[in-house]
Amino acid sequence: MRCGVFLCECGGNISDVLDLDSLADSARGQDGVVSISRNQFMCGTEGRRMIEQAVEERGLDRIVIGACSRRFQGPTFERIARELRLGENAVAFGNLREGCSFIHRDQPDKAQLKAEKIVSAAVARARFQSDLPRGRTFLHRSALVVGGGIAGIAAAEELSGAGIDVHLVEREQSLGGYMARLSKTFPTEDCAMCSLAPQLTGAALDPRIHVRTLTDVTEISGPPGEFRVKLRQRPRFVSEACVGCDDCTPACPVSVSSEFDLGVAKRKAISRPFANAVPSLYAIDKRGSSPCKSACPAGTSAQGYVALVVEGRFDEAYRVASGPNPFPSVCGRICTHPCESACARAEVDQPLAIAALKRFVADRVGPETVLEKVPVIHSEKVAIIGAGPAGLSCARDLAKLGYQTTVFEALPVAGGMLKTGIPDYRLPKDVLGREIAQVTALGVELKLGQRAGKDFTIDGLLENGYSAAFLAVGLQKSSEVEIPGAELEGSERAVEFLRRLNLGKPVSVGDRVVVIGGGDVALDAARSSIRLQKTSGREPKVTLAYRRTREQMPALDEEVEQAIEEGLEIEFLVAPLEIVGKKGRVSALRLQRCKLGEPDSSGRRRPVPIEGDVTEIEADTVVFAIGQDMVCDFLEGCDGVSVEGGQIRIGRDTLMTGKAGVFAGGDAAATGGWTAIEAIAAGTRAARSIHNYLRDETLLQVWEPEAAQARPSAEELAGREVGRRIPITVLDRMERRGSWDEVVNGYSEEDAIAEASRCLACAVCSECEACVRACPAGAIELDQQETVEELAVGAIIVATGHKEFDARRKIPLGFGRFSNVVTQSQIARLLAPSGPTAGELERPSDGTVPKKIFMLQCVGSRDCTSSGNEHCSAICCLFSTLHASLIKQHYPDADITIGYTDLRAPGKAHEEYYRLVQERGVRYVRSRVGEVMEEPDKSLRVRFEDTVTGRKNEELFDLVVLAAGLEASAGTTEIAHVAGLQQGSAGFIKEYHPKLRPVDTQRPGIFVAGTAQGPKNIPDTIAQAKAAAARVVSMLSAGFVLTPAQIASSDLEQCIGCGICETVCPQGAVELSGGDSPHSIVDANSCRGCGICVAECPSGAMTLGGFSDEEILAEVMV
Amino acid sequence: MTSTAAENTQASETEDAAGAERKIIGFFCRECAYAAADATGNARVSLPTTIRSVLVPCTGRVSPLHLLSALADGADGVYVAGCLVGQCHYREGNLHALDRIEFAQALLQSVGVEPERVQMFTMSAADSPRFVEAAREMHETISNLPPLQRKCK
Repeated sequence: MRCGVFLCECGGNISDVLDLDSLADSARGQDGVVSISRNQFMCGTEGRRMIEQAVEERGLDRIVIGACSRRFQGPTFERIARELRLGENAVAFGNLREGCSFIHRDQPDKAQLKAEKIVSAAVARARFQSDLPRGRTFLHRSALVVGGGIAGIAAAEELSGAGIDVHLVEREQSLGGYMARLSKTFPTEDCAMCSLAPQLTGAALDPRIHVRTLTDVTEISGPPGEFRVKLRQRPRFVSEACVGCDDCTPACPVSVSSEFDLGVAKRKAISRPFANAVPSLYAIDKRGSSPCKSACPAGTSAQGYVALVVEGRFDEAYRVASGPNPFPSVCGRICTHPCESACARAEVDQPLAIAALKRFVADRVGPETVLEKVPVIHSEKVAIIGAGPAGLSCARDLAKLGYQTTVFEALPVAGGMLKTGIPDYRLPKDVLGREIAQVTALGVELKLGQRAGKDFTIDGLLENGYSAAFLAVGLQKSSEVEIPGAELEGSERAVEFLRRLNLGKPVSVGDRVVVIGGGDVALDAARSSIRLQKTSGREPKVTLAYRRTREQMPALDEEVEQAIEEGLEIEFLVAPLEIVGKKGRVSALRLQRCKLGEPDSSGRRRPVPIEGDVTEIEADTVVFAIGQDMVCDFLEGCDGVSVEGGQIRIGRDTLMTGKAGVFAGGDAAATGGWTAIEAIAAGTRAARSIHNYLRDETLLQVWEPEAAQARPSAEELAGREVGRRIPITVLDRMERRGSWDEVVNGYSEEDAIAEASRCLACAVCSECEACVRACPAGAIELDQQETVEELAVGAIIVATGHKEFDARRKIPLGFGRFSNVVTQSQIARLLAPSGPTAGELERPSDGTVPKKIFMLQCVGSRDCTSSGNEHCSAICCLFSTLHASLIKQHYPDADITIGYTDLRAPGKAHEEYYRLVQERGVRYVRSRVGEVMEEPDKSLRVRFEDTVTGRKNEELFDLVVLAAGLEASAGTTEIAHVAGLQQGSAGFIKEYHPKLRPVDTQRPGIFVAGTAQGPKNIPDTIAQAKAAAARVVSMLSAGFVLTPAQIASSDLEQCIGCGICETVCPQGAVELSGGDSPHSIVDANSCRGCGICVAECPSGAMTLGGFSDEEILAEVMV
Repeated sequence: MTSTAAENTQASETEDAAGAERKIIGFFCRECAYAAADATGNARVSLPTTIRSVLVPCTGRVSPLHLLSALADGADGVYVAGCLVGQCHYREGNLHALDRIEFAQALLQSVGVEPERVQMFTMSAADSPRFVEAAREMHETISNLPPLQRKCK
């Protein structure tokens, strides 16, 4: 080695503490050192010349620099070494400044000894520093700009001008960012949109700028010059056919707070933020499936019809409610309403009374509605066995698809369990009758009194003109009862009991009725018995005997409550042992008392008999409601259909039985939970499946694909006022005994609208399809899916902007609690001529123009508490001054006070503007605000101290405006994670060097611009954006770049192919090759030179350029 | 207490009396600790001269070989300083380093050497006070231990 040592005085920083001559002497003695030089500034031109000279004259092959930290001037000397053809790894560094002279000024002697060690270490290390090979990376001549605000647009424009292809990606539905929301800009009072609009148009028309909105960047990998980027574009649900006519928004019934208007206005689920949006298309905010829709077996969009009820659009609401379900009046009365159990409103107060709202709509609109008959367009005929909810729903949907259907019903009446099971006080006859009539009005043929297996066979139907059949026979008999006395007179079975009752046959009960069971059928039997009992003689009694507890009863809560009001008594934890008879009639019921034991297969705790604890109660009628079974005689003459576990076996995907063309659903086929709505859903699914079968093509989805469930966020819920459900009234209990009149009353129109208004619009767009009908261009596409795209780009600019500090964190200021406390950004929206109030300053509480206004500065900025940020947000002083100026010009009588901490006006013409606005009459008070309080009339009492005079004031204002500071946007944090960028305080992207490289990040090839890097105004943003663009241009202009020198490499001879390096590499830059003797391969472009793999390598095959074990140990062991 | 340690104690008393200054090697990662070290230097904070810094790209580069070689060659203590846990610029490099420190400590303990001669500290690049605190703490710890005796041939 021929090493030259170069010692820097650093203008006295080093030489004032260390004796460089003595240091030179000690270095001279070291093995390999052939030259020592000394300079006042080794990093300057003189120093460089010194190095050049020494290299040439002394034939040096190694350079040791004793100067400042290598983190500071390292690149300078490495470059010199490279240019002198020694290779940049020929330089070793001794940190004599930050590592010695600066920190040991008080111990010069000891510092001297340490300095000698430092230089020796560097010399020792230099011996082992060898030349590092470098490759070339091709650079894609394209860039990704993340963020479509003014920074992104300005950068894109510049890049395009330089001939670089730009992918401009924005997560909102339009370009424009924060600037698009402003009214005017300071200090010129130019209209923000007027300045921005030409830029937007430019970006839209520029063939080199490829705009993608509603898009996020989900992955960035690869080296600079060859970044591989993954983009995810969310569906707009509106196609390019949209012409922007705005016919859709009046049709949309869902209103939510507008993000573009920063919460001071609302928008519809379909919207466009502003007129010059790029692209100019509307977009639908659809967050998935609302909980009510997800919970409904038939997929009814409850949110859809509820939203339409709010607007009084009952006809449209009926269309949405009856689309998937031909029995909205019925279900509005008797459904188990799983939608209500799922309703997110329960997290605020109580779930919406969705069933009652459906009933309101169906009762109001249903009877008048004449459904359009669809002509029969297919030749195939379909037979449906059973005119219950499953069968009739299937028939209706097939009729709407253009099929001729015939429904065969064994009983002389249609309706199935809806007719024969549910008593009139729950479901009046005419209500069911009307909805059945609507089905037959579509052309469905109904053949009553036709029993399959007896009057005809299914095989016979299929041989005689029917191409498919749907078996919807239900479970028409009660389960067997096997206790002694079950056959005595007076011992009834609920299914048969209710059927006789509902078919108008004579039914009587005694005055001591006991109903065994706890489900809705038991309740139906019990409440019917209450009505059937005679009131002469002693007081009649109906008792329900249930083997578990109240909490475990499957019956609907409202049923049980109403029954108890009607006088039902309930015995819990009892099981029937024996019916005691007298002269062949029921006289008493012996019951076994139980307690709850371990859970059974349904997950409920099973009742366990208590030894010896038996009771006997008087009974003259016992009704068993403990289960239902299928009557199988329909299978006579129907080969190929098998029954398992008492149910028809079907394929889950198609609902088809083992016999081709024969389908089954509802209670008979266990397609769901034995409720009416499950049967209806099964019927509609079967219709779709039958259609696919007959057309021999999957034209319709039998099962709805799973959609992500949308629920409001905790924040959205917290903002809701707690109230309660509008009560549903019922018939007075005294009027109910002995009467079959409907017990539950429907909502009035007023109550229905009030109840519907409680809806949280969970999914925002409810798929009511009102916009689809309103759009003249046919541009609505509700089934659009998200798309994923991969790109290769050479460089990336992050311009993801900022968000406003959440002023609710400053609790004493009342933002979020008091309606007339707003932020400056919200004022910007109100003052904007194209804003929600057309530029009029309207007070939120009453829409009047505020006379007296207080503007509070530094909210959340310059704040050392835990509820704020330390930094100054740079723009707020001028922002408030601007708005004060605009308000004063528009409303000369306005009395505006700006309570400031310091008035910062550093930019060009800012101070002059501030002075001008003061002359316009805006009052500036240097102040400290204690508290903002709300008066009964919603005006605000502000308590503040004038910090100049020391006087404490308390004044009343009409409006208080907070200058909430700037923080990094949520998108900035996300892109920082994706791109591996560092964030500083308040989340702003950390630049590579705050002074010398303000638009570079730590990652080569990724740059930052605009408020994502820190608070700044528009001209500074644009300047920074152009600077970042310039960096990209200079980076990409070479066409290629050298791969880094300090990267890992593997010695193939030593490598044992263990793969540990691949596992530990944070960059994914090491891969184990395949083949018989695998070895590790380092991707020179991706390796970032951390050395983790080197330390982990068990065989010593891995080494790191510039940080090999030899180099490190030489430096340590000197 | 082993006999070796007893010998150490006796010998150290004479060493201490001679006032030999301890030697400490510090491995600092380029991203955080060395940046904090530079910031400390720029602030002209006064530090003990016992510590000599060695720059590594990431503390994950430091292996037990480096730690033990430092001790074998004359250092009385060696420490590693890197990024805060969860903020390593190379994902988990500092966690690898922590594992190796613990390994080295266990190894030292098993041969009767005080494990606190090898330590790790974490800090952010902006946290110069933390760097100073770590340096002074390490200096304090090692100064309170006798100079490390080596029996190497």
